[in-house]
Amino acid sequence: MATGKRSKRFEVLENRPVHKDGFIGEWIDVGLYAMGSPKDPKPSVRIEGDKIVEMDGKRREDFSMIEQFVADYAINVKNAPEAMAKGDLEIARMLVDVNVGRPECIRVMTALTPAKVSRVMENLNIVEIMMAMQKMRARQMPGNQCHVTNVKDHPVLLAADGAEAALRGFIEMETTVAVARYGPFNALALLVGGQTGRRGTLSQDALEEAFELEVGMRGLTSYAETVSVYGTESVFIDGDDTPWSKSFLASAYASRGLKMRFTSGTGSEVQMGAAEGKSMLYLEILCIMITKGAGVQGLQNGSISCIGVPGAVPSGLRAVAAENLVTMCLDLEVASGNDQTFSHSDQRRTARTIPQLFPGTDLIFSGYAAEPNYDNMFAGSNWDIDDMDDFLSIQRDFKVDGGLRPVSEENVIAIRNKAARALQAVFDELGFPPITDEEVDLATYAHGTKDIGDRNIPEDLKAAERLMKEGVTGVDVAKALAKRGFRDVAESIILMMRQRVAGDYLQTSAWIDTDGTVYSAVNDPNTYSGPGTGYKMSDARWEEVKAIPWAVRAEDV
Amino acid sequence: MQINPELLEKIVAEVLADLNGGTSRGSTAVAAPERVGGVKLTEKGQSARGTDPKEVVLAISPAFATTFKTTIIGIPLADVLRQVFAGVEEEGLHVRVIRVYHTADVAFMSHLAAKQSGSGIGIGILSRGTSIIHQRDLLPLSNLELFPQSPVIDLPTFRAIGRNAAKYAKGESPTPVPTNNDPMARPRYQGLAALLHNKEASFMDRSKAPQELSVSFE
Repeated sequence: MATGKRSKRFEVLENRPVHKDGFIGEWIDVGLYAMGSPKDPKPSVRIEGDKIVEMDGKRREDFSMIEQFVADYAINVKNAPEAMAKGDLEIARMLVDVNVGRPECIRVMTALTPAKVSRVMENLNIVEIMMAMQKMRARQMPGNQCHVTNVKDHPVLLAADGAEAALRGFIEMETTVAVARYGPFNALALLVGGQTGRRGTLSQDALEEAFELEVGMRGLTSYAETVSVYGTESVFIDGDDTPWSKSFLASAYASRGLKMRFTSGTGSEVQMGAAEGKSMLYLEILCIMITKGAGVQGLQNGSISCIGVPGAVPSGLRAVAAENLVTMCLDLEVASGNDQTFSHSDQRRTARTIPQLFPGTDLIFSGYAAEPNYDNMFAGSNWDIDDMDDFLSIQRDFKVDGGLRPVSEENVIAIRNKAARALQAVFDELGFPPITDEEVDLATYAHGTKDIGDRNIPEDLKAAERLMKEGVTGVDVAKALAKRGFRDVAESIILMMRQRVAGDYLQTSAWIDTDGTVYSAVNDPNTYSGPGTGYKMSDARWEEVKAIPWAVRAEDV
Repeated sequence: MQINPELLEKIVAEVLADLNGGTSRGSTAVAAPERVGGVKLTEKGQSARGTDPKEVVLAISPAFATTFKTTIIGIPLADVLRQVFAGVEEEGLHVRVIRVYHTADVAFMSHLAAKQSGSGIGIGILSRGTSIIHQRDLLPLSNLELFPQSPVIDLPTFRAIGRNAAKYAKGESPTPVPTNNDPMARPRYQGLAALLHNKEASFMDRSKAPQELSVSFE
């Protein structure tokens, strides 16, 4: 800052929202560095028999447990000598080249060491990363996920918001809590709301891992995502975990027919003070490879809750896009972030989302706030419900499918009301603290918790505890709904429970359509190989995207 | 289950004291001044599991109130301690403070505090302000109340954390401390929080056991 007479321009610039963001310089020694740190390992591999005995300059006897897991389970040893012999630039060019098919890219990328993958990413600029994403994502049709939360954990509002979000097109929705003990009610409210809004909506309750598994097994949620993995041993140990224990948890979900993905992201290790001097992207590549090695179908990454860290350092958002791309290159589903506030600047917020929105990912957001951000209990998402019409406009401006659709006010009011009444009936049938008609009305028309009253929280918490103790399941909820005239919602819940027996939605990148059909990388694989190929909006979908209600129509003027 | 004779004796004594119409320690609300001077923390040796059902154990991080003097938004850590003490004391209970060296993870700090607490209730606070109220028999990554956003935790919230912890210790089901949510805290503070945490983590000593502290406000 100048000490003498101030420039009026600089005074204006200093007061722009972007100046409220935290920007920090790189700090190589602790790993406050986005990608390609001078302290990252150099790529190398040595194989004896069918075992990797040296990886990225380290001998097997010196491996950390993470390196051992990655070397043993996440690298295709048979293809490794050939793949590792290719130049970094050569592989980077393969990813961008429309004449090299996705399967060939997968064959090479799954046979590289972590440091080699990092080197390949360092050779791509942001547009090249986006080009590669368009080809490498697993499923052809892009999709979107939202957060449904509120600061009061108000169950009626959660149900209404869930229903509206499902109507708007989110194929997955995730809740979490302000108060952990509200968890069972949040799961229940989202189940009822999500299935009211659109049959087939996948819902989850991001909480402590054992609790998540239990509510999933009971049919109160249909997938899980917050199973976190980390890139350094010390962070893993701090969480009382290992790659093997996480794999065990993953198999527990699979054995019960429940979809699940892991979560990781750049910045988490350095945020926890344990990056051991490695760059954020290098450590994230280890996380992606742990996920691959564990046999899990997908990963939520894109920094996620640590986005303020890569968001604060040079080339950080490029690293965030690169981590999404690496996930795709290992043939995994990606729920690609954009789910946390990271900037006061609308320009930076939008720019941060373009690398995922324009090429399309399996789930462009892994949490678009379906409520105003003041009610977002993931501490705010990069986009919230107040940005919805901007989002719909951008889909229309660029003819890009962000997974959402314009909706009418009447339809939103009707679906919110129905979900609130459905939850009211379930609470009544199960003997939980009553939901009044006034609460139903307030939730129907509310913008957020500022428009809604307070519930008796201690009473709700006792009832939530009872829900867990008494072993209430999705079947009980369906029975209550059917008995009280919400037969269609009841049938949707039963349909979701039947999916666990069929197991189709355990395939990579699966979502469930309204008629119960599962679409995944198996029956809807990405076939992009240049202009004129890959995902294209259907005519009906394009008409839907075009029809924003506030556009002036020539015939009306 | 193993019966600890010392614990049994203590419970009997407490029950008798209650029956006699008085609690053993300050049951009147303490009017703590908003700002105090400094705080002196003296290590008394390795901390152990307590037996006093009227204590709440507070675990603080390796550099709390030594290298770090304030939270991420500049609230003096001496004031933070004073308010947590006041919150607990106004419920007629008292605080025992331990300093944790082997971790700077607030979930494990607070869970350790709960496990060492005679009441089974513990609090963990990081230097930057992040806090948790924990209970002995919960899983480490669960909690009774979590205050994850250090930039929105003010002194009244710290006092309310103490008050609610004491209420849980008494077997009550208090209304959770109202959650402050500032969606713009992350853009402003997360990079800084990472810096602060790396500084704090440099004071960790994985081989050093938690130490009991005597606390005197100046």
